[in-house]
Amino acid sequence: MDSIWYKILGAVVSFIVAFIVGMTYMGLSRKITARVQNRKGPPFYQNFIDAMKLYSKSTAIHHGLMQHFGPAFIMVSSIMTLMIVPVLNDGKWFPNLNFDGDLIFLLYIMVFGPLGMALGAGQTGNPNSAIGVTRGLSQMVGFEIPWVMALVALMMQFKTTSIIDLMEVQAQSGTWLMFSSPFAFIAAVLAMLGMFRYSPFDIVGAPTELASGPVSENGGKYLFTLMSSGAVFAFAKLTLYVDLFMGGADNLIVLLLKTFAIYLIPMLYGVVSPRYRTEQAIRYFWGWPTFFGLLAILHAVFF
Amino acid sequence: MDMIYLVFLIFLSGAVISWLAGKVNHVLQDILFLASVIVPSVLFYMNVSVGQEVHFKAGGIDLSWGITDFGWIFSLIVLGLGVLAAIYSVGFMKGKERRGYFYFNYVLSIMSMLGILFSKDFVSFFIFWEIMTWSSYLMVIYNGKHTQSIGIKYFIFSAIGAYAMLMAIVISHSVTGNFMIADLITAYPVLSFNLQVLIPVLLLTGFGVKTAIMPLHVWAPGAYSNSPMAFTSVFSGALSKMGVYGLSIVMLSMISHLPEGFWFREVLAWMGAVTAATGTLWAIKQDDAKKLLAYSSVAQLGYIVTGIAIGTELSILAGLFLAVMHAIFKSTLFMAVGAIERQTGTTNFTEVTGLIRKMPWTFLASLMSIIALAGIPPLGGFVGKWMLYESLITSDHYMLIILVFFSSTAAFLYCYKFLFGFFLGQEEKEWAHVKEAPVLMVIPMLVLAGLSFVLGTFPGLLLKPIDAGMQALGFAPTNQHLWDTSILFNSWGNQVALQPILYAILAIFVVFTIFLTIKGYKNTRYVTTKDISSSGEVPKEHENLTFSVNFFQPFLRAVEPVMRRQIDKYYNGFANGLEALFDFTRKIYTGNGQTYAIYVILFLIIMLLMKNNIFG
Repeated sequence: MDSIWYKILGAVVSFIVAFIVGMTYMGLSRKITARVQNRKGPPFYQNFIDAMKLYSKSTAIHHGLMQHFGPAFIMVSSIMTLMIVPVLNDGKWFPNLNFDGDLIFLLYIMVFGPLGMALGAGQTGNPNSAIGVTRGLSQMVGFEIPWVMALVALMMQFKTTSIIDLMEVQAQSGTWLMFSSPFAFIAAVLAMLGMFRYSPFDIVGAPTELASGPVSENGGKYLFTLMSSGAVFAFAKLTLYVDLFMGGADNLIVLLLKTFAIYLIPMLYGVVSPRYRTEQAIRYFWGWPTFFGLLAILHAVFF
Repeated sequence: MDMIYLVFLIFLSGAVISWLAGKVNHVLQDILFLASVIVPSVLFYMNVSVGQEVHFKAGGIDLSWGITDFGWIFSLIVLGLGVLAAIYSVGFMKGKERRGYFYFNYVLSIMSMLGILFSKDFVSFFIFWEIMTWSSYLMVIYNGKHTQSIGIKYFIFSAIGAYAMLMAIVISHSVTGNFMIADLITAYPVLSFNLQVLIPVLLLTGFGVKTAIMPLHVWAPGAYSNSPMAFTSVFSGALSKMGVYGLSIVMLSMISHLPEGFWFREVLAWMGAVTAATGTLWAIKQDDAKKLLAYSSVAQLGYIVTGIAIGTELSILAGLFLAVMHAIFKSTLFMAVGAIERQTGTTNFTEVTGLIRKMPWTFLASLMSIIALAGIPPLGGFVGKWMLYESLITSDHYMLIILVFFSSTAAFLYCYKFLFGFFLGQEEKEWAHVKEAPVLMVIPMLVLAGLSFVLGTFPGLLLKPIDAGMQALGFAPTNQHLWDTSILFNSWGNQVALQPILYAILAIFVVFTIFLTIKGYKNTRYVTTKDISSSGEVPKEHENLTFSVNFFQPFLRAVEPVMRRQIDKYYNGFANGLEALFDFTRKIYTGNGQTYAIYVILFLIIMLLMKNNIFG
């Protein structure tokens, strides 16, 4: 059962799972945000309806090859991230490529898509897109620092750069890294606020300010691809956090519970926060999150 | 006659002949120029083997030339890049003035770099080093612009480096009694501690200038951006690597024998990382592509220095791999800037936009090189970055890795600025006439870009000679336990397999491109960049919506406290202090004969008054 076709089948299945779960989470977040703001809100399956609508629309115009490839680039990044992250603990059901890469590779493949997408957004010539991209890249420099600090702390502590080894460590010791390396967890979670781009860090899309930023010239299939890529990417990132800090998951139900718990953090933080300006957002990550990152490294080195 | 002499003879005579041939015929001149770079390169790879040596006496000093495995890696950069950039130069220099001057200095600088790699004694090393400095200095002032501010700055720093090196050579002669480099290396472990520190510091000052490490980097942005782009690709790609070559030898065969060498390496590694971070931040700020790439070169060399300074097997592999990769992608980018400068007449991001449909091949080459520069898989830059990070983690440099990571993430900003500024954004009528650069300029760019693609998946092709070079410096073989043809390992046993990654990326990309293209691209029509939804209004033809001024202002606001300090200001302060001192001396030496007469009289009076005390 170790054939290449089996692996490809597994990859397709995990892609579909990621798509469905990610879309549902996005729908739930719309619902929850609405309830917090005392609105009724759309049903949780609204995103599926939106996606189907976008898919069935026919596109009339394009802005050139880079813009045409942009969504494909970002899809590469999302799916590659998903392939590197082990979905379930035993790895039997979702035999991804995860043995071929490690955390450093993961850090880099995660920026492959946004950069490709940025090129596509650039070719449309819409100034809002370019402004959104510069903000996104700037914010990325911000949150990567605490995020890398957290990862470096974990890698130093357990002398490995592989995600699977870190999961193994948790399985053997019986505790989650969330508790045994609390500072790394805090730094990583604070960095995640920027990664998910909910308010107050929604400076890239910036509704009512930048007219949805980089995606503004995309419609129809392009927007459908971007949307599904966002869903898959969100699922991959959540699963990564669960794998790294919460001991992974033995079955899908546990995985859903854990990922949703993590997902609530940036969402609920965002519901009650107004948007930052770009430099405020960057400086935010270089304040307390970096401090916790430093603590995490000190903790990893001296304990 | 030995083949080694022939190689250098062809270079030397080719330099002169291709200068003089300009008086006869321009086409002949181009052909002779190409021949004088390509023929010796081919001869070198066909007929000169590693370990072959020639000895001769000049002025009573024993000189010896020959190439080692370690020098052979750098010969790949020098000659490979030299040949490709020479082809590019022919296209670039077409219709320009003073081609003979350019060709002469170009061939000379290639020859001197090869000579540095061949030198086994300090005398020929120093002579070739000076030829390299001189020929590059003449290139820096090729335009005749800024000869005072930029040319002199480059020259002063080169001179400081050269004097430091000369001093080290003299000291080493007094220790060993001859000028052989190998003798110094053998004698090094038994020297007194003071000399053990002094000699490397002096040598590293010399090499550090060419490598442009902080605080010796201030000449680089000006010199890189002021020389003609065809040469800058060699200048930043190969010439700066000569500093890396020397630095590696000093670090690996001298400092590693020093018990206290740990601190030495740490300091140098930190200097490299700080160079990388500040260089990156300054690159983000630039609006001129040449300046941007120049600062980026400074930053990239910082990574290389860090890698070599750390001194573990993996980090040296990383440093040398990055050195070759940097030669590949940065020279491509400088070539692209040269092509754009030639076609549009400017290299300023705020002036030229939307070239992607006019110069598609230049864009493709730039895109590949930018991806390699940013270190994104599956291109070659990733391999170097991966090895660098893994070596930093496995050798417990936890703060250093944060700094290095910061600078390479911030590098995405200027990467995007480069691509967006030139190729993307609004297409303006002003640039509607622009055509793709000549074939002679495009082909070298595409070859180099293709190379960075191949090395991204099969780094073993390059790691093999690097490994041989490291073995020549006394390291154990690293094949199989740190790298294989397309798999990389770290010392904890973790790995990244590059082939499955490439295939997965290609498969996903193709699937979704097909998904988007079916009933998509064919049925849709291209609309111009004016046909966009900007708040529900369609912009008019004359409205300029290009976003390129203050591109990363919010980011620069966030890092403003760091950028306030400039090393340049300290140097200028020092220079101003010196000038004040000279002004003061000028008050004494007024140049007026009457004043000097008074001095003489005053002196005599003092002598008379003091005569009892003096002659007592």
